[in-house]
Amino acid sequence: MTILKDVLAELVGMFLGDARLAAAILIVVALSAALIDVAGVEPLIGGGVLLVGCLSLVVESARRSGRRAAGS
Amino acid sequence: MFTWSTAAPAISAAFLASLVEVVEAFTIVLAVATLRGWRPAALGTAGALAVLGAIVLALGPLLDRVPLQLLQLVIGILLLLFGIGWLRKAALRAAGVVPLHDEDAIFAAETVHLGEEARRRRTSLDWIAGIAAFKAVLLEGLEVVFIVIAVGAGRGLLGAASLGALAACALVLVAGAIVHRPLSRVPENTLKFGVGVMLSAFGVFWTGEGLGIEWPGHDLALFLFAALFLAAGLLGSALARRAITEVAQ
Repeated sequence: MTILKDVLAELVGMFLGDARLAAAILIVVALSAALIDVAGVEPLIGGGVLLVGCLSLVVESARRSGRRAAGS
Repeated sequence: MFTWSTAAPAISAAFLASLVEVVEAFTIVLAVATLRGWRPAALGTAGALAVLGAIVLALGPLLDRVPLQLLQLVIGILLLLFGIGWLRKAALRAAGVVPLHDEDAIFAAETVHLGEEARRRRTSLDWIAGIAAFKAVLLEGLEVVFIVIAVGAGRGLLGAASLGALAACALVLVAGAIVHRPLSRVPENTLKFGVGVMLSAFGVFWTGEGLGIEWPGHDLALFLFAALFLAAGLLGSALARRAITEVAQ
């Protein structure tokens, strides 16, 4: 049972290690999908939003963690 | 038939990611072998590899039944969650916010832990040692299995990505057999940074294709995405380091 629990924890940690970051990534993907499928914009513009959104998340989440670590 | 512009990033991502994970698993297996000999270490490792093989064999035929666009979207999103998480952590380690992985320290801690566990549970140390090796290989191997499937499944590159992972296993085993101590000189965080960059690039690429986007330059767009994620990771690391330096002054 402990091994099964560890495996589940590992799987959750792999994808949702930082819940805030994971939620932000899902929002960016959902926004891109909505732009393409609902708003009917050019797919490449949705792709640009996806790419720029993900790049911004990398920078912002590292900056935020740095500030948090510096403040503690 | 695959093109090298797609195959090369897939194989190298599988190779580098596997290298990192296998080095981590090897440290625990070596601690087990040092404490109780190679028999429990080999049995635990073989058991875990059998479970991982069964997972791949079970998932392979299932993946063939999923429509390609849905498969690309799901794997792309999982890659984004996994890859950006790795990249963020590597950037924070490079900035000194999160401590670096120390294989020598992990080896020492695992050796002490195994001894304490045997005393506490009054169980055979061979059994506990074997289970420790099994768990280490299984948990680290799960990440390897995911990465191989993720970078390989979308374009029929499962075999090529698996070869990349197997080459990493072989390299670690040969290096481990030669030095016979934890492979602490492997530049683990640099590798993790590189893998995080590649997985994030694949994540954007697959997610986009799953959403029906035709990227300009097709597979070559992967290289541009990788360059952009590398720049973003380095910028994030520099900003995190600056935040710490400002508070320290």
